[in-house]
Amino acid sequence: MDVAIQIVASGLTLGAMYAISTVGLALVYGALNMLNMAHGAILALGGYVCYQVMAAMGLPAPLGVLAAMVVCGAVGVLIYHLAARPMLRSQNFETQIFIATIGIGAILQDLILRAFGPQPKPQPLALSGALNVGGVAVPYQNLLILAVALVMMAAMAWLLGRTRTGRAIRATAQNRDAAQLMGVRIGRVYAQVLALSGALAGLSGILLSSISGLLPTMGSDPMLKAFVICVVAGLGQVQGAAIAALVLGLLEALIQYLFGVQYAFAILLMLVIGVLIWRPFGIFGRRQVVRL
Amino acid sequence: MTSGKRDLVILLVLVLAMATVPAFVGTRYIITTLTLFFIWTIVVTQWNLVLGVAGIFSLAQMALFAVGAYGTAMLGYYFGMTMPPAMLLAALATVLVSLVVGLACLRLAGPYVALLTLAIAQMLYLLVVNDTACFTNPPSGCMPFFGGVRGFSRFGDLGFRDLLGSKWYVGHYYIGLVLLALAVAFTILIFHGPLGLAFRALRDNPGYAIARGVGRLKYQLWVFGLSAFFTGLAGAFYAVQFGVVGPIVFSVSMLLFLLAMIVVGGIGTIWGPLLGAALLTLADETMREFGDYRDLGLGLMLALFVILLPRGLAGVRGLQRPQG
Repeated sequence: MDVAIQIVASGLTLGAMYAISTVGLALVYGALNMLNMAHGAILALGGYVCYQVMAAMGLPAPLGVLAAMVVCGAVGVLIYHLAARPMLRSQNFETQIFIATIGIGAILQDLILRAFGPQPKPQPLALSGALNVGGVAVPYQNLLILAVALVMMAAMAWLLGRTRTGRAIRATAQNRDAAQLMGVRIGRVYAQVLALSGALAGLSGILLSSISGLLPTMGSDPMLKAFVICVVAGLGQVQGAAIAALVLGLLEALIQYLFGVQYAFAILLMLVIGVLIWRPFGIFGRRQVVRL
Repeated sequence: MTSGKRDLVILLVLVLAMATVPAFVGTRYIITTLTLFFIWTIVVTQWNLVLGVAGIFSLAQMALFAVGAYGTAMLGYYFGMTMPPAMLLAALATVLVSLVVGLACLRLAGPYVALLTLAIAQMLYLLVVNDTACFTNPPSGCMPFFGGVRGFSRFGDLGFRDLLGSKWYVGHYYIGLVLLALAVAFTILIFHGPLGLAFRALRDNPGYAIARGVGRLKYQLWVFGLSAFFTGLAGAFYAVQFGVVGPIVFSVSMLLFLLAMIVVGGIGTIWGPLLGAALLTLADETMREFGDYRDLGLGLMLALFVILLPRGLAGVRGLQRPQG
C-alpha cells in the first residue's frame, strides 16, 4: 500500500511538472503553428529571475514571481517582433521559426550561463514541510506544483473557451487568412500568445527549479519531455496535453519502480512511438485531411 | 552539358585541388583540421539531402553519426575486428537503425518528425550515459557496455602509423577526401536522379505526383536510409581519426554547429552546405581563443540567417545559377 501511494505521489508530481512545462509550448503550437525551441531557455530564465529578485535583491516572493513572469513574457514578445513577424508570410514558416528559435534558445541559455555561472543554485522560493498521506510524506512543494498546474490548465481552458481574446486566438489557429478577413488583428494575437506562453513558462521555471535546482541547462530536459507530451496528446491540444502529462508522469513513476530509473525515459519513448504508429496525429488530435 | 554533369565536373576539380594540398602544406594542424572538415561536410551534405531535398525535418542525424562511430569502436573493442570491415559494418548498422527510425517517424507530419527524432537522439544519449553497470572489467577500470561517460578508446586504427610513420595523418586526409568525394557525388546523383525528380514532382504538384504513383513515404524512406550510410561511414571514420568515441557526439553544441553550416550555406542546394561547412570551420578555427562565445555565436548566426537570409549564401542573387 505504501508503495502504491509512493508511486502515485511521485507520479503526480512528475506529471504536474511535465504539465506546467507543456502548457506554454502547446499553446504556442496550437495557436501559431510554431514550435518554440527557446522554451527550455525561457523556463530557466524564469527560475533565475526569481532567484535574482529574491536571493540577491532580498525582495519578497510575490515580487520574484511577478518579475519572472514579466521578464519571460517580454522575451516572448521579443521573439515575436525579432523572429516570427519577419517570416510570417514565408512559405516554410514552420521550419524557419523552428531553426530561428533553436538559435534564440542557444543565445538565451548562453547569456544565463554568463550572468549566473555554471554552478547549480537553490531556488529560494520553495515550501518546506510535508503532508502525511497514509504513512508517506508528500512535500508541500509537490502539492503546490500540482495545484499550480491544475489552476493553469483551468485558466487556459477559460481563456481559450470563454473570452474574446481566446476566440481570436482560436480563430487564428484555425485559419489565419479567414481570421484576418474577419477583422482579427493577427499580429496582436501572435504577440499576445507568445507573451502569455512566455509568462507561463517563467512561472513554470520557478516551480521546476524548486525541485531540480537552478542550472542554465535545466530547461532542456523538461522541454524535451514537454515535446514528447505534446506529440502524444496531439500538437496544440492544451487540455489533452495536461491529461497526457499526468498519465505519462504516473506511468514513468511506475516504470521507474519496476525497471529502474535509468530506463524510464527510454521505455516511455518506445511507448510513445508505439502510440504514434497507432495514431500518427496524437491521442487527442484529429486526423488532418489535406485538400490539394 | 547537363547541370548534373557540370556539378560532377566541379566536384572533380575541387577534389583534385584538395588532393594536392598535402604536397604544399606540411603542418599537421592544417591537415587534421581539413580532415575534420571533410567529416563534417559529409554529415552536412547527407543531412541536407534529408532536410532540404526530401523535406524530412529530422534531427536524428548526429544520432546516426554516433551509431556509426560507436558501432566501429565497439566492433573493434569487443571483437577485435580490423577497422575497414568494422567501419563498413557500422555504416550498414546505421542504415538499419535509420530505417527503424524512419518507419516510426515518417508517417508523421513535419514538426512531429523533428520532435520525435530529437527525443530518440536524446534517448540514445541517456542510455549511453546513464548505464553505469560494468560490462567488462579491463585493467583501466570498469567499462559499461556503451562505454559510459568516458567512451571507447584503443579499439584499433587504419594502420597508417606503420605505413607512413609520423606522417600517418596524411593517410587519413586522403581517406577523408575519398569518402567526401563519394558522398558528394552521391548527393549530386540523388539531386538530379529519379529520387530528386520524385521530390521535385511532389513539391510542385503533390496531387498529380501521388496520383501517378509517386508515393512520398517510399521515397523519403529511400533517401533517409541511403543518406544514413554515408553518415554512419563518416561517424566510423571520425572514430578511427580520433581514436576515441565518447558521448560528446550527441552534444547540442555539435548539432547546432552542423545545423548552422546548412542554414548558412543554404538548405536544399548542392553546394550550399559545402560552402557553409567551409565557412563555419574557418570561423570556428579562427575564433578558437573565444571558445566561450562559440554557442552564443552559433545561436546568433542561426537566428540571423534564418530571419534575414532564409535561403542561405547559396540563395543570394548573383551566386545563384539558372535552374537547368
